[in-house]
Amino acid sequence: MATAEVLVNGNQNDWSDRYYHVDQILDKPGPRTDPSFLAGEEVKKFLREACKILVIGAGGLGCEILANLALSGFKDIHVIDMDTIDISNLNRQFLFRPKDVGQPKAIVAAEFIMNRVPGVKVTPYFGKIQDKDEEYYMQFNLVICGLDSVEARRWINATLVNMVDPEEPESLKPLIDGGTEGFKGQARVILPTVTSCYECSLDMLNKPTAFPICTIANTPRLPEHCIEWASVLEWPKVFKDKKLDTDDPEHIGWLFKTASARAKEFKIEGVTWSLTQGVVKNIIPAIASTNAIIAASCCNEAFKIATSSAAYLNNYFMLIGTDGVYSFTFEHQKREDCPVCGGQALDITVNKEWTLERLIEMLIERQDVQVKKPSLTTATKQLYLQGPPQLEELTRPNLEKKVSELVEEGDYITVTARTLPFDLTLRVTYA
Amino acid sequence: MSAAVSESQDIEQATAAIHSRPPDNKTRRYDRQLRLWAASGQNALESSRILVLSSSATATAVLKNLVLPGIGHFTILDSAITSPADAGNNFFLAGPSSIGKPRAQEAVPLLRELNDSVEGEAVVKDVKELLRTDDGKAFVSAFSLVIAHNLQKDTTDDLSKLLWSDLNYPPLLVVRSAGFLAEFFIQFHEQCVAQPHTDENVPSLRIIRPFSALTQWASSLDFDSLDPTEHGHIPFVIILVKAVEQWKASHDGKLPATMPERRAFKEQIAEMRKKIDEENFDEAEAQAWRIWSDPPVPGAVQSLFGLAPLTPGLTADAPNAGFHALLRTLEAFVSAPDGPGSLPLSGALPDMRTDTESYVKLQTVYKEFAAVEKVRSRLVIAPAISDEEVDTFVKNAHHIRVLRGHRWGEWDADKEALASSLSIFPRETATHLGLAALSNLLSKAPDGSAVTVDALRAEVHKLVGDNVELPEDLESAIGELARAPTADVPNTAAFLGGMVAQEAIKMITKQYVPVNGYCVIDMVDMWTGTVGGQ
Repeated sequence: MATAEVLVNGNQNDWSDRYYHVDQILDKPGPRTDPSFLAGEEVKKFLREACKILVIGAGGLGCEILANLALSGFKDIHVIDMDTIDISNLNRQFLFRPKDVGQPKAIVAAEFIMNRVPGVKVTPYFGKIQDKDEEYYMQFNLVICGLDSVEARRWINATLVNMVDPEEPESLKPLIDGGTEGFKGQARVILPTVTSCYECSLDMLNKPTAFPICTIANTPRLPEHCIEWASVLEWPKVFKDKKLDTDDPEHIGWLFKTASARAKEFKIEGVTWSLTQGVVKNIIPAIASTNAIIAASCCNEAFKIATSSAAYLNNYFMLIGTDGVYSFTFEHQKREDCPVCGGQALDITVNKEWTLERLIEMLIERQDVQVKKPSLTTATKQLYLQGPPQLEELTRPNLEKKVSELVEEGDYITVTARTLPFDLTLRVTYA
Repeated sequence: MSAAVSESQDIEQATAAIHSRPPDNKTRRYDRQLRLWAASGQNALESSRILVLSSSATATAVLKNLVLPGIGHFTILDSAITSPADAGNNFFLAGPSSIGKPRAQEAVPLLRELNDSVEGEAVVKDVKELLRTDDGKAFVSAFSLVIAHNLQKDTTDDLSKLLWSDLNYPPLLVVRSAGFLAEFFIQFHEQCVAQPHTDENVPSLRIIRPFSALTQWASSLDFDSLDPTEHGHIPFVIILVKAVEQWKASHDGKLPATMPERRAFKEQIAEMRKKIDEENFDEAEAQAWRIWSDPPVPGAVQSLFGLAPLTPGLTADAPNAGFHALLRTLEAFVSAPDGPGSLPLSGALPDMRTDTESYVKLQTVYKEFAAVEKVRSRLVIAPAISDEEVDTFVKNAHHIRVLRGHRWGEWDADKEALASSLSIFPRETATHLGLAALSNLLSKAPDGSAVTVDALRAEVHKLVGDNVELPEDLESAIGELARAPTADVPNTAAFLGGMVAQEAIKMITKQYVPVNGYCVIDMVDMWTGTVGGQ
């Protein structure tokens, strides 16, 4: 029977019984399977011959995702990653070996998968997701993200939400997103414009540990404060425009020496090389097993969506493995005022006495906005622009003016920023 | 004496030197995991020897996640010959070219290439046969952990009985899966966790039970005479010690206990301010919870004091002998008439809004007193325990955990317990029962030909009793099992590979808290749950 399938699928690489395990799922429905499931040849043909899937990230999650997809029967896989392989990747990114250090992750991972799993085509792109346009993303049936950057996730999320054309069902690309930290992780399914999107849940992220500048400058107490002093205040003072490269051991060495000297001066203990690197690179602990769990959940959802063999996750799964195994599956709700998928302006209440500068500070601090260096405009005027320099200079005096003098109650302010992949609209009320 | 001092300085200097150099290649390779389990966890992993029964897709997925972080050694024991189906679902076989060759032998080199420092070997033998011989039993019992995937029911029975028969035999991790459903169970007598990395009990700062240096500081400091800058830099710990002192003086020596009293206590703190925007006083109010409930010994730790060791004599070679010796020492420390009547001070101090000088001074006060208490608690400690172990134990004394496990299969023989669990956790218990029923049917016909929904339901009834009403969830579970009774699908295998490796790492490093009971997994509705651990 399996031999007959090979002939039907016409793929010379599919030996008899190759898909013995997966086919048990694809040959008949389970008790919870949706009636639209087309068991048998049709679904296998779609999965193995037509379905095209994009994997963003070829790191800790990406390596696992590529292997799982290949074994599950996806044959046309694309992968994007802008990074090269580092020795610290080797404790979990299992498609890489010491000889590969310095090589592009996407290319090495793609070659490894194609060597190990016959008949699977993996097309790598060594570069940024922002290099690609809507036409590129439109070619895929599904997108899986294994990223460690909030910025990149916001970008792909906003891009896929923007691509949805209600007249064109094919334009809706399910986005499956995973993330891990130590023994914890989460996987979620986003149907752009239908379910809650990445931007809707921005406030669920842990607030990054930011130390107040006055603590760093005047009252350091922890070794971290000394390291921040070295990297944030001393580096630019000593090296002027030379950019700090956190991958350069000489740069880390200088920071470590400088932070150690300050720690000694203040009798603070605990500055080590490893802590210095951890603080300046914002290192998140990562292990193979947690990545395996989360990548498997992502691929399981991709497989269920591509085949309809079982209902897909609605829409968020989180797992904590520190104390026994605790997991929580729930539906994350859409935010009506989500700037990406909600379509409504974000209502903000501003104190009548606040200056424009104070408003900008508030936007930077807000966990559901997360913006750095925003530019603000209204329909009729430029409130403050970060660049070019002439316009910055021209609008700078506004920073000290009261917002209430610049914007009428109920008016809209548009916020743009280099790190923000969309325009954020605010509606202002005064308190 | 002077020799000892210079020796300790050498160690300090040597340690400082290690911490001030760029790390070596091994440290760089393991950096992201050393930040979790540190050198002590890594050493434990590197000394471990793991036996895996089967080289299925799930088994190799587990091994991948143990070889990468660097266990010492693994052996795959499996007599299977690679089938075309194996070559299709297992990433650690070389595709069609492995077909017809011993599966374990094909998998070992592809796993070993993940990490040069890990030893691995294949033993192409049948585990059932092996367990019939004394040599075979000795071989299996000599590992630090044994993991079995979809092993036949009667073989799992034999294996679990063997490994349960001696307290020094290794824990056994039993893994079962079919299609979208899976479960695993860890059989162990006792797991002592000195570093659970959970944050449920915050180490006490002894604000309501202050040691002399703390009391002196608080009472010698005349808040009112300080200038505004100094006043704005008093550490919250000192503010709270002072506030508690004042409260007790006007409340018959009692602490604020009721809601109104607690509110009044916070108001008392607010009145101590000089200006409304003193952040250290905001912090003192926000941290007032530290005095609401600060038992001398957290309940969970107190209950460990009454725990009888599994080996009454506690000889030095008994399992967890060091941990139990430390536990007894801790108990003696708490009950010593001249002691604080509480757990020793951990020495850790959270960051707080204050100036550098006050913070460093307070940190020194805590560290010095923690050292005093550590010395005092050491007096009773068996000499065989290293300084490092004592340090870790004292630092984590508020969190330590002891788990007592069960023999695999014990729960399945307890009809009453199963029926009760079925009514409290229907979907988890139903899925476990379904997998147990499937295993029974597969032992009759390994190809799955005897598996039907009706046959599975009948097996479940045999386990729980005929008159127990089965929940709706059982139909979902057995329907899914009948659909794919022998399917080791890649995503489930990878998911289990991660889950089981996490548990293996917890068992080996004795850091983090492992699952006690059956961890059941459903990848259709994507949930996990634990049953049968009571």
